[in-house]
Amino acid sequence: MAIMRQIQMVFDLNKCIGCHTCAMACKTMWTDRDAGQMHMYWMNVETRPGTGYPKDWENLGGWFNADRNTIPLPHIHEGYGTPWEYNYKEVLKTEGGDTPAPKLIPSPDPSEYPYASNWDEDVGKGTFPNSYYFYLPRICNHCTDPACLEACPRQAVYKRSEDGIVLIDPKRCRGYRYCVKGCPYKKVYYNPEEKISQKCVFCYPRIEERKGNFCSTQCAGRISWIGYADDTKSNIYKLINTWKVALRLHPEYKTEPNVFYIPPLSPPTYSFTSKLTDSPRIPIDMLAKMFGDTHDQNYDQRVTRIKQIFDILQNERNKVASGGNSELIDILISRSEADRFQI
Amino acid sequence: MMENKSIENDLSDKNTLTLDLLEHVTEPIGKYPYRGWETAYREQWKYDYTGRTTHSVNCAGSCTWKVYVKNNIAFKEEQYADYPDINPILPTYNPRGCQKGANYKEYVYGPQRLKYPLMRVGARGEGKWKRISWEEAMRHIANKIVNTIATHGPDTITFYSANPAKFAITYAGGLRLANLIGGVVCSYYDWVSDLPPGEPMTWGVQTDSCEAADWFHSKYIIVWGSNLLETRIPDAHFLTETRMRGTKIVAIFPEYNPTSIHADIFIPVKPGTDSALALGMANFIINKGLYDEAYIKQYTDMPMLIRMDNGKFLRESDMTSNSSQEKFYLWDQNTGKPVLAPGAQGFLGSQDWTLNLDSIKPALEGIFTVHTNTGPVKVTPVFSLLKQKVAAYDLVTVSGITGVEDCLIARIAREFASTKPARIIGGAGTNHYYHNDLTNRSHILLAALTGNVGIPGGGFDHYVGQEKIWCKEGTFDLAYPLGSTKQRFQPTTLWTFIHSHIMSDVDNLWPHPMIDYIRESVHNGWMPLFPEGTLDSGKSPKILFVWGSNFLNQAKGFESILANLWPKLDLVVDIDYRMNTTGLYADIILPAASMFEKWDISTTDLHSYVSPFTPIIEPQMESKTDWQIWQTLARALQETKFSYHDTLPDGTPVYRDFSTLVNDFTAQGTLTSDKAAGQFILDNSVGTRGMTMDGINEKPRRFVATGKEFTSDIKDGIAYYGLQRMYELKQPLSTLTGRQQFYIDHPWFLEFGEELPAYKPPVQEDKYPLRWITPHSRWSIHSTWRDAKYQLRLQRGQPVVYLNPSEATARNLIDNDALEIYNNYGKILAHLCISPRIPPGMALMYHGWEYYSFRKGGFQSPTTIRIKPTQLVGGYGQLKFKANYWGPTGNQKDTRVEVRKYKSG
Repeated sequence: MAIMRQIQMVFDLNKCIGCHTCAMACKTMWTDRDAGQMHMYWMNVETRPGTGYPKDWENLGGWFNADRNTIPLPHIHEGYGTPWEYNYKEVLKTEGGDTPAPKLIPSPDPSEYPYASNWDEDVGKGTFPNSYYFYLPRICNHCTDPACLEACPRQAVYKRSEDGIVLIDPKRCRGYRYCVKGCPYKKVYYNPEEKISQKCVFCYPRIEERKGNFCSTQCAGRISWIGYADDTKSNIYKLINTWKVALRLHPEYKTEPNVFYIPPLSPPTYSFTSKLTDSPRIPIDMLAKMFGDTHDQNYDQRVTRIKQIFDILQNERNKVASGGNSELIDILISRSEADRFQI
Repeated sequence: MMENKSIENDLSDKNTLTLDLLEHVTEPIGKYPYRGWETAYREQWKYDYTGRTTHSVNCAGSCTWKVYVKNNIAFKEEQYADYPDINPILPTYNPRGCQKGANYKEYVYGPQRLKYPLMRVGARGEGKWKRISWEEAMRHIANKIVNTIATHGPDTITFYSANPAKFAITYAGGLRLANLIGGVVCSYYDWVSDLPPGEPMTWGVQTDSCEAADWFHSKYIIVWGSNLLETRIPDAHFLTETRMRGTKIVAIFPEYNPTSIHADIFIPVKPGTDSALALGMANFIINKGLYDEAYIKQYTDMPMLIRMDNGKFLRESDMTSNSSQEKFYLWDQNTGKPVLAPGAQGFLGSQDWTLNLDSIKPALEGIFTVHTNTGPVKVTPVFSLLKQKVAAYDLVTVSGITGVEDCLIARIAREFASTKPARIIGGAGTNHYYHNDLTNRSHILLAALTGNVGIPGGGFDHYVGQEKIWCKEGTFDLAYPLGSTKQRFQPTTLWTFIHSHIMSDVDNLWPHPMIDYIRESVHNGWMPLFPEGTLDSGKSPKILFVWGSNFLNQAKGFESILANLWPKLDLVVDIDYRMNTTGLYADIILPAASMFEKWDISTTDLHSYVSPFTPIIEPQMESKTDWQIWQTLARALQETKFSYHDTLPDGTPVYRDFSTLVNDFTAQGTLTSDKAAGQFILDNSVGTRGMTMDGINEKPRRFVATGKEFTSDIKDGIAYYGLQRMYELKQPLSTLTGRQQFYIDHPWFLEFGEELPAYKPPVQEDKYPLRWITPHSRWSIHSTWRDAKYQLRLQRGQPVVYLNPSEATARNLIDNDALEIYNNYGKILAHLCISPRIPPGMALMYHGWEYYSFRKGGFQSPTTIRIKPTQLVGGYGQLKFKANYWGPTGNQKDTRVEVRKYKSG
């Protein structure tokens, strides 16, 4: 096995508040270098149900497609969302002079391409008061079998042996975008200025200093844990393997993603007569179509697993509420930052 | 800057393989041979040095940030994450921050940044400016001030800024000059309606909430109109983490919001009916005997006797002539006699100023006869009256009002009363309504009935605005060199209402027109109104200074303010680091240092640490720190050599000589630098004794003590929570009765039926169908970041209004349609976002959008100012005007609008 260690990450969706501090932390560090990066969010947060980012990414396919020639590439305006520019200098004459335009206008007009990476924030589905939604933070999964790597005809995509981080060699990349097509999570982006593809680097310069990646260390909701898959003492190991409360997003894509999610509980619905029921408002069906353990699990198995995780969470909560101790709850709370970053 | 042309839109698959020579890589997984390029990202991450700062945006975050600097450019911000832990059981405060703080650099270097002093050359708001020198600007302002004082008097010069807690030195600068020259200082906390009136009314405090870590001690939390997970981003984890340990989270909101999604129960309440729900719960708790009897006897006014003939407290002066009007009675069941309740205001300074009941066994119910000076009078305890009054709020009635199913009301009431410690967290969602005082009092009532106030993890805690000034004494010593008794203070809601000629539209809710109540309040000296003589001789303000706040953009009644108040002003000066709506309508703009460029101090009620702003980079272009700007103005005023004899409203004469103004401002040169001003604050505050500016820059420090305006001591290893001195030390509150006071026997309260908490429906005086809700948002703090590009790109790029699908269908609207939103007060254009998380009957737009972000109107265009007479009361125990403690609130959630598709042209 050429990969000596694999870094992994767990997101607790019961702690995610959709604040996008992770997205901004990443943006201001890695993707505000040039105009060609403005549409990129290596770390993004999307409201589910929703179209996601890039738009409808779950329907765009990947290298597993039977016909790889038909995999579409997202259009920057329609697919990733226009990074609007504003006429600040016309409106706010901070250096003196006349203003020709008293109103701050985005360009192009957002109605031209009514989509952006977070366009359907907090929109959700359902009928009030049984509306529902949750937040899904997404980063490159640094997959064990990366489709981007497989797709690259120039072998410019590689996986580091010391941590399993997947990188694109910008010197070797020619911007063909097979990786963009290949990645079923659409977590590789094309930079039209630099004419190469770019993606999350898992803040490797920081990982090398044994510091967390920015999206984790800056996470105000404290929803993430990082660690190495083989570290059986780590909290990610316990969440994934011991307590088995963290699932992969779309394991059926068969890339073996290394980012895991604790599925979201939700407040119960109301019946037609306004009675509080005991069914969670986020349909299990929707969650089962998103999350699972392995690529060969079937739908029913996924449903069972999600229900099982909810039971574990509720049981452990109840246990602590009635004075008991729970290793799981201690991990989920993670009183100190050292509990979240074990690298 | 991105040029559209440079974006390669067509990403179709037309590239073919470049046939350059390429070495084959045998094992890209694990053995890639060309990794030399990886230094590129390591280089990108390298920096020269870091510095510490925070943000003064009134978000209540007060988060300490690390700024990375390379080549003198602040290029990256990260939470410092070095708050010391309170104890090992509580989750850490790290990392504290949000996505806005993560990108403040956008303003430091962005096109909004003010670089030079500017003078208006076109009409106000037209946006035409001339760059001028600091000297020219200061001379102009100084001459205006001197001429205005000579012609119209000093009380026509008004100073508005918001919130010393967010930037103590910056705030104190303007106030210090105002104090020295005789200007009027405006309140902010009541005006922005963040002041929870129920707290001064019931507890005699401005606000005293627990720090966020104490949420972790709660076993039951009702988050009631406080959207913590969206608007308290740095603290949100304490809620989700306490939930994990089994604490039940109940979210009560009209809409399904980001806090509701992580609740165990979401309760959709009809907007503005919160006090009915609370009183329905109170009624249930009383009827089922779920209240904490021993607690309410000792810590509330529930056992205090009320005269049944006039509804007033039975006072000592009723029983014995020439005795106290501030001592009250309990009915002692041991002796069968009325006895004086210890702890009332009248006992201040004596050994009976305590909440110890000793052998008194007070009755909570019953009718008793007492022999007063004027004969026998029937009396009954407050609790008896409360029980009768809340009996009207039976489950079925309350269900009808609130839309909450009756069994659920009972269930929540029972759970809340039987799980200790239990807490209600309140906020702007309930506090921005006209009858906010009633809702507030009802919430506190629930917490007190169940014995939760004063214990860790329990009580009522309110979070809107960063009002808690932990280093209060030093800040105010710096702000008022002549003392606060020599300062003219103005409740801003009243000032704005009168000077903007707002026509009250709620007169029919009260026995008399609003102006009568205002006249009586001002005439009685309950509320000040400057300039003196405004109501009689029509005097008006002449100069307005606004700094560190966007007064005009955020003002309720915007259209009237612009039409009526603004023309009265001869000079509007705006001091800010960025251009905003207030700046656009100002006459002179002075460029201030940004939050990366100065020393300052920040504190908040959500944590118990002090951390500084520091000058990480130099003030950009010609900007100066606020502290230096006010000094520069003091110097220009000194050069006028003006002096005058001032007389304060209470008759105190003050001779003001500008020829020594610089020395007076800098305390003989000891406070010239910003850092020295900060050190002065630390030295003179009980909470920061022994700390230095350099010391708090090394690491945030936890406060060491609390002053007498706090209701609790601060202790090592314990998260701060309110009213500990009352509960643990039996120390009376500063209310008239010394207890948590639910009964207010002021004549207006008795006349209005508000002597006890009650439900009054939201104002429904207009014909419009949609409630106009403008809550705090994830993406801005008030107007800050509302126009910021990186934030806008993560929204829809321009202002949106949310509607329920049924409201959209009924009006033939589709998502992203351009809408006209209107009522009698104004019109706005915005785009539609359809979401089922919004209930029918509501139009929701996040607040803070700048006026120039709308093609027409602004988010406050449909609002007006509605004053509630109970909030004009003064001269009664705890109800005495003090800036930012007690005064009429500038609420706006009772507004209603209609929307229609906008047809341009």
